[in-house]
Amino acid sequence: MNFFFVSVLNGVVYGCFLLLTSLGLSLVFGLGRVVNFAHGALYALGGYALIVGMHGAGAGYWPALILAPLLVVPVAILIERVAIFPIRHRPEIYTLLVTFGISFMIVGAIEYAFGTGTTLLPPPAPFVTTVDIFGNQYPVYRLLAAVVSLFVSAGVFAVILFTPVGLRIRAVTDDPGMAEALGVNTKWLLTLVFGCAAGLAAFAGALGAPIFAVHPEMGTNILLDSFLAVILGGLGNLAGSVIGAFVVALAKSIGGGYVTDWSIAVLFLVVAIALIFRPTGVFGRGRVA
Amino acid sequence: MRLLQSALFGLFALSLCLFANGPAVAQDAVKIGVLTIRSGPAKPIGDDILAGIETATQMYGPVLGSPVELVIEESLFNPQQAVTKATKLVQQNQVSGILGTSTIETLALLSVADRLGVPIITSNSGSAAITRERCNRWVFRTNAEDLMSALSLQELVRLTPELQGAKWFTLGHDYPWSRLVAESVKGVENLEYVGDTFAPLDTTDWAPFIAQARAAGATAVIMPVTLGTPLLQFIQQANEFGLTNEAMLVSPIGLPDWLVAKLGETSTHVVSAGSWAAWRYEESDSTTRDFNEAFFEMHGRVAGMQALQSASAALMLYNAITKAGSAEPEAVVGALETIEVNTPVGPLMFQPDGRQALVPLFLGPYEALDTPRYGASFGQRATAFPASKSLPKTAAEYGCNLG
Repeated sequence: MNFFFVSVLNGVVYGCFLLLTSLGLSLVFGLGRVVNFAHGALYALGGYALIVGMHGAGAGYWPALILAPLLVVPVAILIERVAIFPIRHRPEIYTLLVTFGISFMIVGAIEYAFGTGTTLLPPPAPFVTTVDIFGNQYPVYRLLAAVVSLFVSAGVFAVILFTPVGLRIRAVTDDPGMAEALGVNTKWLLTLVFGCAAGLAAFAGALGAPIFAVHPEMGTNILLDSFLAVILGGLGNLAGSVIGAFVVALAKSIGGGYVTDWSIAVLFLVVAIALIFRPTGVFGRGRVA
Repeated sequence: MRLLQSALFGLFALSLCLFANGPAVAQDAVKIGVLTIRSGPAKPIGDDILAGIETATQMYGPVLGSPVELVIEESLFNPQQAVTKATKLVQQNQVSGILGTSTIETLALLSVADRLGVPIITSNSGSAAITRERCNRWVFRTNAEDLMSALSLQELVRLTPELQGAKWFTLGHDYPWSRLVAESVKGVENLEYVGDTFAPLDTTDWAPFIAQARAAGATAVIMPVTLGTPLLQFIQQANEFGLTNEAMLVSPIGLPDWLVAKLGETSTHVVSAGSWAAWRYEESDSTTRDFNEAFFEMHGRVAGMQALQSASAALMLYNAITKAGSAEPEAVVGALETIEVNTPVGPLMFQPDGRQALVPLFLGPYEALDTPRYGASFGQRATAFPASKSLPKTAAEYGCNLG
């Protein structure tokens, strides 16, 4: 029972973290039908932006954590305007291939600038410890990262649900043609959302740096898990992404704990079953791309 | 006018001499191929391998009176690429030997070694089969293989009282080597084995697996995890969860020193059950010390496990060419079978009628150094475990038949 509790706790913590990256992916797809394969690379860029902030600018961990997404957002906006904007109205496969190429370019640029090595960053001083949770020693920083992720994710939902920009995003996601006819500037809206989604990924990369370490390929796994979460929740469906993120994280954690040899198979089985019976996601409101 | 003509003629003659002399030097050079990892997450391992060979080359000096030219090729840690580049090195660059390969490349080259027809000396390949049932007359190995490491683990347990009474758990990656390590731990007499788990190769979050080790009550965790970023992540997370307060972490083949530097204080929770090399062996071997000093002077950092090993492989090759009196491959292979050379991992020779070097393994914990040396603040306290104990049988008894 105790082991099961720890497995669930691990899953919930990873789920909170995965939520940050999944929301960005889902937003971008929902708004612009962009299958952003560069999302993992932007996540990695966030980790390196944290290093630049801490070691380059001499900032402490918390200021550098805020700075990291701010450094990545302009890069993402540039990518969107130069590489995605011109092919925005073409089929999804175009943006998929372009962003796939861009991810390689970003990772290559990181390797060129920072080398291929791994950088370990300790958690900020007061959080380098464990806390006893029902007899289990658990790292405080992981719990903190989970709470911060939840707050930021809640903030994203608040923006989408309660602000004029959020209203426009929802309108374009539901019916881009109608929204454009009603005067919504869809072009700049996608640029803005692409930048913010990259900011979320970068924030996640920086927040996860003391847990998973920083290296050029760090975005590969998180990209895969995020896509699984988004597919499970329904492409473009934000509420579905929440469910998807936690299902993926719990399947990985509990599967890894109990059926280690089959954990990956279990994860993909869950997604396959979901796709067979709910191809448009858990709420049935996603898109079949 | 005549003076001008003479001067022009002189310049022309001089330039002819210079151009004629240039290619002659290049033709005379002894070319050695270095096929290793030059990109990706495992690049630091390739960096150490290359740096070790470069240092050994500089220390050894000219071979047969000719300078050594290293022809470096990227293996991408990929078998197909390794075969392509090795073929290029032999056919196009006409190298006299190939150094620098790791397990994946070496296993791939075994099937084409007869066609390549040059000695290949690997210094970073664990798979026992390379010098046992799949041994090939062209392929030599200077590092200890996996089954030798299994015996050194038994020795570590014998030497360390805390490990004798420990509850052992294997936490590694899901591939054959990890299971081999797990089996070797289970094979140690009077040892309490409480379980194992093998994580997918792309694991970045080790929390579920650390939880398993804890649930099993492990007090000694042997960690056959891929060297590089994954091992770094695992040790960091084991420390983050406080597992290092409850259990000793045992590395089956030691930690690369660039990884020890990144881990810092955390590395002191790790004990090596059989490193392929250890720079602190210099405390009992002057050859190691000379190499360490030359390496530091050339590269500005401590010589890591892979560097010490690759340098040893290079020295074996250069000495064999010198003994053979030519770089002719058959003669060099013949010389490799008989030479004994002082290397940074101790005096080396290859197993009679075999291709495995009789090389020691190095057991012991990682610890903070009283005084930083070669830029390192942490290092392994190394006790040599001789090949006579880790490789007690003949090559034929291990399945190597070169006949």
